[in-house]
Amino acid sequence: MENIAGTRSGLVWSVNLAVLALVLLWTIPTFGLLVSSFRDRDQLTTSGWWQAMFSSAQNIVFRAAAVETQRQNGAQWVIAGSVLGPAGGEVKAWGISSKDPTAFAPGAMATMADGSSATVAVDGAYRLSAGKAFEGRSPRLFVTAVTPPRFTLDNYRKVLFAQGLGRSFLNTMTVTIPATVIPILIAAFAAFALAWMEFPGRALIIATVVGLLVVPLQLALIPLLKLHNQLGIGKEYLGIWLAHSGFGLPLAIYLLRNYMVGLPREIIESARVDGATDFQIFVRIVLPLSFPALASFAIFQFLWTWNDLLVAIVFLGNSADQLVMTGVLKELLGSKGGEWEILAASAFVSISVPLVVFFAMQKYLVRGLLAGSVK
Amino acid sequence: MQQLVTASATIVIGVFGCVGYFFASNLILDAIFPPRGPNAGRNISRAAGVRPWLFLGPALILLSVYLVYPVFVSIWLSLRDSTGARFVGAANYTWLVNDVKFRESMVNNFLWLLFVPAAATFFGLIAAALTDRIRWGNLAKSMIFMPMAISFIGASVIWKFIYDYRGEGQAEIGLLNAVVEFFGGTAQTWLTLPFWNNFMLMAVLVWIQTGFAMVILSAALRGIPEETIEAAILDGASPLQIFTRIKVPQIWGTIAVVWTTITILVLKVFDIVLAMTNGQWGSQVLANLMFDWMFRGNDTGRASAIALVIMLLVTPIMVWNIRNARREMR
Amino acid sequence: MPQAGAARVSNREVVMKSRLFAGAAALALLSGAALAQDLKFAPGEDARFHWADFDALKAVDLKGQSLKIDGPWGGVDKDLFNSVVAYFTAATGASVEYVGGDGFEQRVMIDVEAGSPPGIAVIPQPGLAADLAKRGKLTALPAETAAWIKDNYAAGQSWVDLATFPGADGAKALYGLFYKVDVKSLVWYSPENFADAGYEVPATMEELKALTEQIVADGGTPWCIGLGSGPATGWPATDWVEDMMLRTNTPADYDGWVANTLAFDDPKVIAAIDEFGWFARTDAFVQGGAGSVGSTDFRDSPKGLFASPPGCYMHRQASFIPSFFPEGTVVGQDADFFYFPAYADKDLGKPVLGAGTLFVITQDSPVAQAFMQFLQTPLAHEIWMAQTGFLTPLKSVNTDVYGDPTLRKMGDILLQADTFRFDGSDLMPGAIGAGVFWTGMVDYVGGKDATAVAGDIQKTWDTLK
Repeated sequence: MENIAGTRSGLVWSVNLAVLALVLLWTIPTFGLLVSSFRDRDQLTTSGWWQAMFSSAQNIVFRAAAVETQRQNGAQWVIAGSVLGPAGGEVKAWGISSKDPTAFAPGAMATMADGSSATVAVDGAYRLSAGKAFEGRSPRLFVTAVTPPRFTLDNYRKVLFAQGLGRSFLNTMTVTIPATVIPILIAAFAAFALAWMEFPGRALIIATVVGLLVVPLQLALIPLLKLHNQLGIGKEYLGIWLAHSGFGLPLAIYLLRNYMVGLPREIIESARVDGATDFQIFVRIVLPLSFPALASFAIFQFLWTWNDLLVAIVFLGNSADQLVMTGVLKELLGSKGGEWEILAASAFVSISVPLVVFFAMQKYLVRGLLAGSVK
Repeated sequence: MQQLVTASATIVIGVFGCVGYFFASNLILDAIFPPRGPNAGRNISRAAGVRPWLFLGPALILLSVYLVYPVFVSIWLSLRDSTGARFVGAANYTWLVNDVKFRESMVNNFLWLLFVPAAATFFGLIAAALTDRIRWGNLAKSMIFMPMAISFIGASVIWKFIYDYRGEGQAEIGLLNAVVEFFGGTAQTWLTLPFWNNFMLMAVLVWIQTGFAMVILSAALRGIPEETIEAAILDGASPLQIFTRIKVPQIWGTIAVVWTTITILVLKVFDIVLAMTNGQWGSQVLANLMFDWMFRGNDTGRASAIALVIMLLVTPIMVWNIRNARREMR
Repeated sequence: MPQAGAARVSNREVVMKSRLFAGAAALALLSGAALAQDLKFAPGEDARFHWADFDALKAVDLKGQSLKIDGPWGGVDKDLFNSVVAYFTAATGASVEYVGGDGFEQRVMIDVEAGSPPGIAVIPQPGLAADLAKRGKLTALPAETAAWIKDNYAAGQSWVDLATFPGADGAKALYGLFYKVDVKSLVWYSPENFADAGYEVPATMEELKALTEQIVADGGTPWCIGLGSGPATGWPATDWVEDMMLRTNTPADYDGWVANTLAFDDPKVIAAIDEFGWFARTDAFVQGGAGSVGSTDFRDSPKGLFASPPGCYMHRQASFIPSFFPEGTVVGQDADFFYFPAYADKDLGKPVLGAGTLFVITQDSPVAQAFMQFLQTPLAHEIWMAQTGFLTPLKSVNTDVYGDPTLRKMGDILLQADTFRFDGSDLMPGAIGAGVFWTGMVDYVGGKDATAVAGDIQKTWDTLK
């Protein structure tokens, strides 16, 4: 029967539009960051990223070329050059005093305080001339110009090579990979035991694991670090691997156990009847079958440890070979709060890896989420 | 380069160490209680009694050290002074109850708990319901889910660009202020407006968590039996009525799970507040207050007291979760 | 003939020895050259530096030993400090790494409490250092250091007093050495903008206030004020209030306020806060209006001085702020400073507010001790002096080395102040001076009443006793 699911075209259109609106709303913030990270520094601070494709008006304070560059042209001494960079643009108004930066139209002639004359043309070419040689500091010119949009890779270049981001990328990898693999191994064994093995206290342990899901980890960072120091593994990679494993175990065991419980009972029973030990059943049957759940938890844990800031601050140090990417980003946020172009580029670099992992693996992520929660 | 080598070596050692433990322990167990030979039956049952603990061992150790031990240490520390040296009884708690910032945090957390799970679940439900019906649904889902992959501090930078304020006479480069001015309003310093700045911060978490809610609710919606829907359509129900009267009640259990999971996260989140306002202008929350007293005030006593308050707030959910889990197992 | 034989033998010896010396000299030159490549200023080249210190340091052999230094400096300052450290590592062979940056105050407490401290910590607040000393986490400096500081630093006794704290056993000892100080009572401006508008540098507070109103009447905005600083938001306002305290009350009152023998909500303190409010809470006086003061980053706010048209004409800030001026700004020409003036009619002289970073030993080792010794040589100061943003009270440095003339001018202010006081909030206990004082100021510029703010701060201070 047609129209069973309401396929009237009006409804379809409104649904599509609604979804489009939602998607736009959710992706605009990140898109704004992406666009900003490619923009020229001055343009970033004077116009919103949605105006990135349009020319923007800027007020430039320009110091004329040094007096050493002056040349003699007959009886006149001349300093000349261009106010606008190679990108060009159009001068709308200019001035010679900060009190009145738009006093003159392009092409007009102005007389400076020391008697020399100045002019700025529409294309940005300026010319100062005087009857005697210029001395001291060259004067300032105030120019209001419309400059074409300029996109640049400079921000990324600066961020990747100068801000220590490259090194921190390695550091983050060093933290994340073991911190993902170790909990999976441990949790897989534990989940199997809780799902398919009979032993006293099983229900209690499951309940405890579920209860531990909610413990806030700010709870005892200092005592744990103290413990690490006493054990001799303080502020080293081994410490942070163990910490992340510990913090991630409840969710891992919970998700994996839920998935394993859903496996067909017959397979495991028949393997037992055939005389396989639990260990063999686990390694040969359950583990391969649980691959989707393992993969999805792996991605979760990877994203979580990659994006983590607090555990890295406490359990790992600040030196060049230990600082993770979120730490670098936080430092930049703190020390370069005013340099938006650096902030935008580094933020995007630090979120690029998780985004790539996410897009590549999202179907596993979704499957994993579902395995644990849908009744 | 050297770091790569040492890192890879340690990774390999760590992983093989883990695997090695499991293999070795099981091998030893099988050697002690061989599942063959004269005492096969008794051996197998004995091994089966020991083996679960071999499997569970590392997990139990890690859980006790990293999650159980801190709970007890925190209780202990909260009864002592700022350096943990002297016992001070309930002094930290009496201070807490009278502290202005603590009261402010409780009120703010209450707002967060009211607004964020509701908003995220609501948007997630709408998104789940709508994206299931269109062809490009999967792409749309990915786009809405994407913020979950971004770190909290990356999200703070992204939203800093949105909330920026420049002042009169200058062009607004923050998206929100630009939109407000476009519609004729005056630009505001959003993050410093008392009371409303909380909602600015909450928007970030809702933005991130909606995808999570959407994915789970979408699966739940798909799990509703077709016959129920078809029957409703035959009875002449409109799509909206089907949605509100049939679908939502059917997945109520999942909605509750999503709601409580996000609630737990709301109580733990501090990075967003730390990076964007650091609790200033009346936006303080418990988790950030704890972080502040721990690492800026250097007072483990007060910080632990706050941490225990957070745990207390979470306990009802913990109990509910445990009860559900036990019900499942019967 | 024994004499000839002896002469022949000694000739050969001489030749061998001279070859040996030549080889050694060549090696030294080569290694010197190799070292010089990493060093900002090649040793021995510029006669203004005290290169003798470098040569003396080479005698100390610390090869194979390492030291970690943690501190608050990030970005530009980090590179500058590393250029100083390079000389130490080049001369002694030790490996020293500076791991500092944002969030230092939090990090150092975690590390010290948990047992993994750096070797040396650079602490910007003596109050924090006092806290660490009381917990027994610092190693006292060698006995002679106190006398050395008293003799070699201008106003030496003050620098000793500021770094002397009771230890875990209650006995007072010298725990820190001040290296890199800042003068805070400065107002930055653009001389050319002043000239364009016809303004004169004010010599008294009354003139400054009149100039503020004059600029508004002319259609401009007089001040750029920004308090934003991440977790430390609010600290620039505490500098304003401290400067105002010094200009409206006696130095004894200031000391009492810092020690809390003068209550924080005493009318004198509230009056000083309101003096700051006269500048910061009047919308017309501040770029962006009073509402943006609390959220503008302090590193962003000076940019208004150089905008077109000028966003503001004056910016009150410490001597380190030129690092945050736009690239290419020539300090002394594009930007200059004048002394934040005192009231002409109050007869309190010309007080100066300053601050400094304190080097303390958090984990004793021969390298740490050697590094502290290195900081007592003029060379360690001169290397940073010759670059930018560094001031020192050490009398034995060659002031010709200063990278720009403004630093020398600042140094003079520092040395000639009739009243010099250290930044108050750095001396108060951490929970106040690096806590509620900052947040209270943010609330104040947001509109909260000064009496209420001061009252809250005093209440918190009471709970700490």
